[in-house]
Amino acid sequence: MKKITATIIKEWIMLRRDAAGLMLLFLMPAILIVVMALVQDAPFRDYQELRFDLLLVDEDGGSLASEIKNGLKQSKNFNVIEQINGQQLTDAELKKQLQKGAYHVGIVIPKGATAEVANSANLIANNISKKLGLGGTMPARESRGNSYVRLYFDPVSKPTFRTSISFALDRFITYSCSNILVQRISKLSKLAGDTASANDDFKKVFQGIGIREEVLNDKHNDKAHINSVQHNVPSWAIFGMFFIVIPIAGHMIREREDGSAVRIELIPNAFRLVAMGRILFYTIICSVQFWVMAAIGLWILPFLGLPSLYMGAHGWVLIPVSISIAYAATAFGYFTGALFKTTNQAMPFGAISIVILSAMGGLWVPVELLPSVMQKVAMISPLHWGLESVHHIILRNGNFGDVIKHIVFLLCFGSILWMISIYKNTSRIKGI
Amino acid sequence: MSLAIEISNLHKMYSGAWSPALDSFSFQVRKTQIMGLLGPNGAGKTTCINIICGLVKRDKGKVSIFGKDPANNIQQIRKEIGVVPQQIALFGNMTAWENFRYIGRLYGLNEATIKERAHNLLSRLGLLQHADKRIGRYSGGMKRRANIIASLLHEPALIILDEPTAGVDVQSRALIHDFLIEYHKKGKTILYTSHHLDEAEELCDEVVIIDEGKFIISGTPKDLIEQTAQQTNCKKLEDVFLHYTGHSVRD
Repeated sequence: MKKITATIIKEWIMLRRDAAGLMLLFLMPAILIVVMALVQDAPFRDYQELRFDLLLVDEDGGSLASEIKNGLKQSKNFNVIEQINGQQLTDAELKKQLQKGAYHVGIVIPKGATAEVANSANLIANNISKKLGLGGTMPARESRGNSYVRLYFDPVSKPTFRTSISFALDRFITYSCSNILVQRISKLSKLAGDTASANDDFKKVFQGIGIREEVLNDKHNDKAHINSVQHNVPSWAIFGMFFIVIPIAGHMIREREDGSAVRIELIPNAFRLVAMGRILFYTIICSVQFWVMAAIGLWILPFLGLPSLYMGAHGWVLIPVSISIAYAATAFGYFTGALFKTTNQAMPFGAISIVILSAMGGLWVPVELLPSVMQKVAMISPLHWGLESVHHIILRNGNFGDVIKHIVFLLCFGSILWMISIYKNTSRIKGI
Repeated sequence: MSLAIEISNLHKMYSGAWSPALDSFSFQVRKTQIMGLLGPNGAGKTTCINIICGLVKRDKGKVSIFGKDPANNIQQIRKEIGVVPQQIALFGNMTAWENFRYIGRLYGLNEATIKERAHNLLSRLGLLQHADKRIGRYSGGMKRRANIIASLLHEPALIILDEPTAGVDVQSRALIHDFLIEYHKKGKTILYTSHHLDEAEELCDEVVIIDEGKFIISGTPKDLIEQTAQQTNCKKLEDVFLHYTGHSVRD
């Protein structure tokens, strides 16, 4: 134990005198977290929480157009613009504005849209009336015209943006059409002498039916939704933790080059204990790193207008999780240091492999969005297991039982790499 | 005769090498002797030392250190030997004192013992006032001296020095030289390799010359000079060395 403690003290002395290494471990991930959380804040709000300028041309002037306009105006997502510089927008002007890129989305409600919807509603109402023997009929023409509400996008708009806006608009149009239909049926009922349901609108008729999002977690709060902070803080904290590969591998190779590794080998029964001390020290440093990054999420990011990091209902589970991630990261660094002969080989390998493993592991883009092959490949990335375990706790309010599998994987990953490294180091020293 | 090192028919061939690093090499070092292991570059001196201290596996032959075979008892043997490697095997970002404290701890020494021994050695080798300086900021000679101290903290019975005075100035060399003589008087055995043959001639009780992994000749410097003088105009150990190893440059 004294040899392990001595090694921890020695590593601490070495690390605190390595300003570049310390910056790499603490400052760079901190900057990365702040920058990435700010940059990804808007995309992570999924367009649902953002407010967009929406150009609207009303060629219809009827109740359908009015329903759509009211719906859009009441929505927190859209800022409806019907005039530019005091001039009422036209179809041509709307297209021109979108082409210029000044606006990103516009809709045109065509002339006769309300009449077309009303006619369709009357036809359906008449059909129902006839089948139920109510007797009344509404004026309707049998032939139907095309009166699509036209949706235009700035050509540079991303598909996800287009889909989100289309869905949102479709909801208003469906609501308006359904409302007109319900009103027509109510009117027919009234004609048949039923006064109870007269003047009901769609909302009242279907009250209590539909979709309402419920919170899944056991605390019944809605803090645990994925957002930029909840994604970026653990992602880049784990990314930064794995960057421990640079100082560990660097120190190991330098010690081999300057001969101090030989000194350790020449001391009886010291080599494995020194390796253990080093792994233990860097595991502690990596764990501290995780909590420093979490502290940034908790207390610094809210100052920048971002939400505070939510630690989940069982935040204490992050302690064993962070230790197991730290152990895996440290062992990976030790492995890199043992595998390569020179820093010129180890440094690019370390840095690039972490970037690859993080991309594979869903740190850049959530795993769910990756192709199915890549989702399977992600399973071999320790960064994926680390991120998944943290997500279980901070997003799904998971407990220790939910992450035990992840912890075991990370510990096994670290131990296997460590054993390979010990073998590799021993065989190198013995010149086999 | 009590032997500190006994090597017979030692053979080592590195993978990919054209010729063996050691080829049926044999020599002995008696307890309390200063033995010089001399040879040109690539002669096999470092390989021999690495086999003695268990850093390299031998292919064939017998090695015995204080009657123990390193292949089976290396951890026990390492307690009794102090190796001063050719490289400065210290942590450059740490002070001399921090290095010695760490190395002493790894040898299982307590704080008081480390302090006492390090203080004495630092004082003897003229580094006491520099003990709190980082090794990386030491001059070449200071580094060499600190390298020796680190190998002696556990007070080994056998000291193996691989080119301990390489690249140091005359003053540092003289200091190291005097220190080794003084240390030897405490009853310690020393195995010493060097390219400074005048130094070996003055310091060593006996020398063994190795070339291309093979044993060439051994004896006291005086005997070797006399013996060789019968064949050629030989006045010093360097002449003996050149007589047996030739004048061609080795890489």
